[in-house]
Amino acid sequence: MITFLRAVKGRAYPRVVGALREPSWMFWEIFLPILSISAFVMVYRALEAPKEFEGFVILGGIMTSYWLNVLWGMDSQFYWEKETGNLQHYIIAPASLESILAGMALGGMFATTTRALAILFIGTWMFQVDITVVNPLLLILVFIVCLASMYAMGMMFASLFLMWGREAWVMSNLFQEPIYFLSGQNFPVKALGETVAAIASLIPLTLGLDAMRQLIFPSTYSWALMTPVIELIILLVLTLLYLILAMLFLKKMERLGKEKGTIITRWL
Amino acid sequence: MQALKTIRTAMWLDYQIMANWTRPIIFFTYNIAKPVGSSLLLIAMYYVVTGRVVGSAALSFLFVGNAFYMILAQVMMSLGWVVHDDREHYQTLKYIYISPSSYYVYLVGRAAMRFLMALFPAFFLLLLGLLIPIPYAFNYPLLAFTLLFGWLFMVASGMLLNSVNLLTARHGGAIGEAFAGVFYLFSGVVFPVSMLPAPLQVVAMYFPSTYWFSLVRRSVLGVEVDGIMKNYTINQCVLLLAITTGMFIAMSIALYLTMDHLARKRGTVEMITTY
Repeated sequence: MITFLRAVKGRAYPRVVGALREPSWMFWEIFLPILSISAFVMVYRALEAPKEFEGFVILGGIMTSYWLNVLWGMDSQFYWEKETGNLQHYIIAPASLESILAGMALGGMFATTTRALAILFIGTWMFQVDITVVNPLLLILVFIVCLASMYAMGMMFASLFLMWGREAWVMSNLFQEPIYFLSGQNFPVKALGETVAAIASLIPLTLGLDAMRQLIFPSTYSWALMTPVIELIILLVLTLLYLILAMLFLKKMERLGKEKGTIITRWL
Repeated sequence: MQALKTIRTAMWLDYQIMANWTRPIIFFTYNIAKPVGSSLLLIAMYYVVTGRVVGSAALSFLFVGNAFYMILAQVMMSLGWVVHDDREHYQTLKYIYISPSSYYVYLVGRAAMRFLMALFPAFFLLLLGLLIPIPYAFNYPLLAFTLLFGWLFMVASGMLLNSVNLLTARHGGAIGEAFAGVFYLFSGVVFPVSMLPAPLQVVAMYFPSTYWFSLVRRSVLGVEVDGIMKNYTINQCVLLLAITTGMFIAMSIALYLTMDHLARKRGTVEMITTY
């Protein structure tokens, strides 16, 4: 357990230090995304949508910053580590790959939370979005479990993406706009119809966003897919499921990589 | 002659990097999935507000704007990644630097192929627009001219981003998209420029993309509904697009030369960041 925690700390450390040492990311990952979010808010203004919908965009911007971190900082990271020659060191180190992934997740969350907070404060101030939190405890729980679920999903995909090789990059790209649409990034997912929304609920972002929308903008309750408590329970189940699958896939990836000798093969 | 050879080779290389991991049909499907997802997102936003997904001037405006924005977004997304990809993934940046080719010209070639590849999803989206239905009124010569100039300003914009990337660490794969967000907000892509606060409207007028998207709407829809942009004639838009594109090209060359000098001085041409 101590080795596990030390490995988590060891892998999180370069991300936290890297974020502080190279502040250039703040421009790319805080300032510029706010411009895109502003554009979506302006679309709602042009369509004369209710004010709460502008809040949906801010909330969507916050949660998708975590989703992007999961995609680029988790899903495709093992592939990247292989390409830069670090993966072999992780495998021969006396620590589990799960601890390395957990470290990546924690380190990635540091910079992403900074971005998310910036979007929250600047977005709500700039667009004068009214936030009415009806159940703060439940909101915090949903947020934390949603993050856990998303990062567990990221851990699961990390090993799959590694096995797929260069397609990992493709998959990360593919998991952006189509997922923004399916998860209801800027609009209530119920608008997609209950069947599509139910399928989209396999993506933790979908349920997390839907629950948080209800808890922050209670006047839009009629657009809710399920109650926040049910969504929280499903998110918990998904977290467990993705964690178990992540462990299984990691073992499989390691075994296949060793058998086929692809664990240190680069540029495929 | 050497420059043309470099551009041709860079275009071939870019296609191989983009597409040789799979069969052409799968690549084509992948290539359109992202733009389609983005358009569906906007249509869903339109639907939750209006309760319908069929024709109106606002829907046509945002659908066509977004379809062509996808060209810009794809080019920026790819160009935002090229330097880090060459430097840290394939670790070939230093070899390209010491070859007789200019890295700037090489990047222009990479951008050219990305632009060509991004045209397919845009045309696919236009076909999809027939379902809504979007009232197309094509002006083909104007559209051809608009696309050609679009390539020039996108390459210049991409080079601004690439030049900065010569000095920055790799923090994620989405910086190109984030950069494209500047154009998304300031160019009247999915909402009229007249919706922007007054000071930002002034800023928008310095972006070639503002005139480009206006020309796109005129060449695809036959009309311009933006309150500000409709005050400009087609000729004025063309002239202003040419002037602002020229400005962007000059800026991109100046920034590239500065950043290239600094990158060599600081030794970041070989930098590998494993955050």
